[in-house]
Amino acid sequence: MKSYPLGEFEEIVLLTIGVLYNEAYGVAIKDAIEERAERKVSVGALQSALKRMEKKGYLESRQGEANAQRGGKPKHYYTITAFGKLALQQNRDIRNTLWESIPKLALDFKLS
Amino acid sequence: MIKRCAYHFFRWFCHPDYFDEIQGDLEELYQRNIERGDRVAQWKYLLQVLVLFRPSLMRSFFYYSLINPAMFRNYLTTSTRNLLRYKLFTTINILGLAIGLASFLLISEYVRFEESYDHFFTNADQIYRLSTVQKMNGEVGVKDAMTYHPAPKVLKDELPEVKEATVTYKFKELIFRQEESVIQEKQVIAADSNFFNVFDYQIIQGLSETMLTEPYSLVLTESKARFYFGDQDPLGQTLQVLGTFNRPFKVTGVMQDVPENTHYKFDMLVSDGSIKERVEQDGWNGFNYYAFVMLDQYAKPSSLDEKLTALSRKYLGDETSMFFTLYPVNDIHLKSDYTYEAEPPGSERAVVFLRIISLFILLIAWVNYINLSTARAVNRAKEVGLRKAVGALKGQLMSQFLLEALLVNLLAAFVAWLVSELLLPYFNQLVGKQVLPHVWNHPSFMISLLVFFLVGTFVSGFYPALVLSGFRTVTVLKGKFRNSRSGTTLRKSLVIVQFAASFVLIASTFIVFRQIKFMQGEDTGLVTDYVVGISLPRVERGQWEAHNNQVASFSNLLQNHTAVETVGGTGYLPGGSGGDINSASGLLRVVGLTEQMTGTTYMNHIDDRFLGTVEIPLLAGRNFDRNRTADTAVVLVNQAFLRRLNIADAESVVNKQMQVGGEDGDKLEIIGVVRDFNRTSLKSNVEPTVYLPDYSPASLVVKLRPEQYQQGLAYLQETWSDFFPNAPLDYSFLDDRFAALYEQDQRFGDIFATFSGLAIFIAMLGLFGLSSFMAAQRTAEVGVRKVLGATVPSIIGIFYRDFLVLLGIAGLISLPAVYYSMNGWLQSYAYRIDFPWLLAGVALLIVVFFALLTVGYQVYQVAVLNPAKTLRHE
Repeated sequence: MKSYPLGEFEEIVLLTIGVLYNEAYGVAIKDAIEERAERKVSVGALQSALKRMEKKGYLESRQGEANAQRGGKPKHYYTITAFGKLALQQNRDIRNTLWESIPKLALDFKLS
Repeated sequence: MIKRCAYHFFRWFCHPDYFDEIQGDLEELYQRNIERGDRVAQWKYLLQVLVLFRPSLMRSFFYYSLINPAMFRNYLTTSTRNLLRYKLFTTINILGLAIGLASFLLISEYVRFEESYDHFFTNADQIYRLSTVQKMNGEVGVKDAMTYHPAPKVLKDELPEVKEATVTYKFKELIFRQEESVIQEKQVIAADSNFFNVFDYQIIQGLSETMLTEPYSLVLTESKARFYFGDQDPLGQTLQVLGTFNRPFKVTGVMQDVPENTHYKFDMLVSDGSIKERVEQDGWNGFNYYAFVMLDQYAKPSSLDEKLTALSRKYLGDETSMFFTLYPVNDIHLKSDYTYEAEPPGSERAVVFLRIISLFILLIAWVNYINLSTARAVNRAKEVGLRKAVGALKGQLMSQFLLEALLVNLLAAFVAWLVSELLLPYFNQLVGKQVLPHVWNHPSFMISLLVFFLVGTFVSGFYPALVLSGFRTVTVLKGKFRNSRSGTTLRKSLVIVQFAASFVLIASTFIVFRQIKFMQGEDTGLVTDYVVGISLPRVERGQWEAHNNQVASFSNLLQNHTAVETVGGTGYLPGGSGGDINSASGLLRVVGLTEQMTGTTYMNHIDDRFLGTVEIPLLAGRNFDRNRTADTAVVLVNQAFLRRLNIADAESVVNKQMQVGGEDGDKLEIIGVVRDFNRTSLKSNVEPTVYLPDYSPASLVVKLRPEQYQQGLAYLQETWSDFFPNAPLDYSFLDDRFAALYEQDQRFGDIFATFSGLAIFIAMLGLFGLSSFMAAQRTAEVGVRKVLGATVPSIIGIFYRDFLVLLGIAGLISLPAVYYSMNGWLQSYAYRIDFPWLLAGVALLIVVFFALLTVGYQVYQVAVLNPAKTLRHE
């Protein structure tokens, strides 16, 4: 099976882009992750993950309209490609298989 | 403001493709944050920009340069191919550079070592030695490294600038008993309890404050402790000291081994209290002690001069000619000109010379690379042309050729590293010191290697890279390309530099060896063949009489043996170091002949047989005579003494009275004049000396019969152990003692010769490559000449003409250099050769010979080729 490497942060970014569907641009993605995954995201970390995944072919981007709030700069929207979907799927499958293989007893903890 | 800076910074580093998008995001976030205050927003903006500063989002900063992986690979391939294709030139380059670099680095380490003497103490620059200098009428006389025992304490008490002071006494030797054997320890000093306050040696066992306070305490270095006590705890143990002490000493401490790079070496310390009698006897009269003081951090020794003069007057009397002086400990090893140094000092001049040699060698090696690469530029011209035609920039071509230089230098550095590691034991042997144990783990060596590898790459690679990258595309690709005129001029000048450096080194080597040979062969004035010198044991306390009788019967017994010719007694054995003699300074005159004069007079005690044993003739008067009981207040003087007093006629002083110490001084009758002889190396002149009679001398000279000297030696050893069972026999042939005086010079000569040889080897290596290339270039010309009737010798002659001009210029430049530097060196010897012009000429001839041989060999190879073959393609 061909392997589609995907880091943990990349996976979150990719999923978030999926969630935002047509509205996924830099600041929106950042806000969404901060809200849903409850973690701080810097523009640097986010952008380098985006560029990396675009290079790998998991993402496509298109230029949006210019915006005064952005100092006249256009928004840059991202969408998931078929490869991106495959990568996400593969990641999920691996996790599922692993989850199912864990013996019941190993997770028999109680949080007191 | 913050935002503006951050913006410009971001704009500067961000990849242009990403700039719009990310800048938009940043702006949006900023606008949102502004609600929480402008400052906060600006700081957040800056923070985001800083986090954006990561390689994946940056633009390429190295667009036109080597860090372009594809081109880099290509450069590497071309360079490697070129290096492999011209194996001879690659080998010459790498070998030359490697030898050059290895020599340079090893010498640098040696120089560094010599300069590191006594620098390892924590406050080394504040430590000064208190010495005594004789000044009369404002003129400096004898400079003595030692001082009076009470002096350092006085300094500490009276001068606020002096923080610490210690006084030490260096024993000539102490004899220790270990079980049944006696062991002679030559490196023992007595020190007071402040010693470790000045010299912060590491104490391994014992308390540094108290271990030297009690009399008869002993502090051992680590290796001596191991030697005497093995694995046992040495603390509290005792060692029996024989000789004058003849009592046990208690070990109170163990310290680190004293490193090689200090001028004051010792293996053992005994407490100052142990030599109380000697100290009390010397008081303010004898200056036999090495004293050291540590000055306050901000004190300047020059500002202390006046106070020291005042102190000298206060304690030594108003009339004194002896003055205290401070000498920095850091400078002692290389710069000291004091007599009675604790060990023979090194030579600053030798260190400077070596540094110059090492630079010459490196220079010659670099010149080789420059010459060979530019000369062979023709081979690369097409490549350069093509690269330029398809768009290579000059900078790119330069980096390509610099990379090639880097590659060669890297290989050379690696070879140099291996070579120096392998040759290090020989190098240590050559310089006579363990400079480094290894090079591969020695930080300073490795750093120098790295630095000079990089410097070398640049120096040797820059010019060739400039030349190669400067070719005009059209000219080169048309195929009618010859080297430019300016390149040839530079190459010629570089060859001249190489020749000149080689010549300077060879000529200097010759002169150094000639001077050493001269000193060894020069008549010292005494006959030392088959003469053995023996130091007699020190007298034990209260046993003068017994000892004298013992010495007398010992020497009589020797005297009567058939293998022994004569036995003489002397206070100091000939062939010792310069400081091996007593001297007195003060007023002196020969009654009725001269006025009172001041100056230093040297003194030796000899018996009536000494002069005969080493065959020194008397020029006037008579020798001592042990059978004349009246011979007590009599002296012999030497010619130098007469010269000092401006007395021409030797006979005139015989039976005259010599008076020392002013009008009321003792009078001694001069009974004879001794011909001058050198008691030490020929670096110093014969001193004005008086000889006093003494029939219980400190040392003996024994002249053996040449044909029976083996038996004589055996008998000597046998008799010695009968008489002095507690002292090991310490004897040496006087010849060897004199030879040993020149050991340092000999060593200097050897080092000089070795590295000069290497320098010349590298230079000839370069010449070999250069001439082989030039000969190959002119193959067609040689062919045409042969067709027109030239003979092989005449062709070689044509090539020689060029080189002879270069050699001539090199000779003209370097001859004055040799003259000035070597004449300066010769000035440091009292007995020296004149500047040997003939030898310099021979040196020049040798360079010429090797150069012509090298060139001739290469030209010959081309000249004997059949023109039919060489001209076939024209």
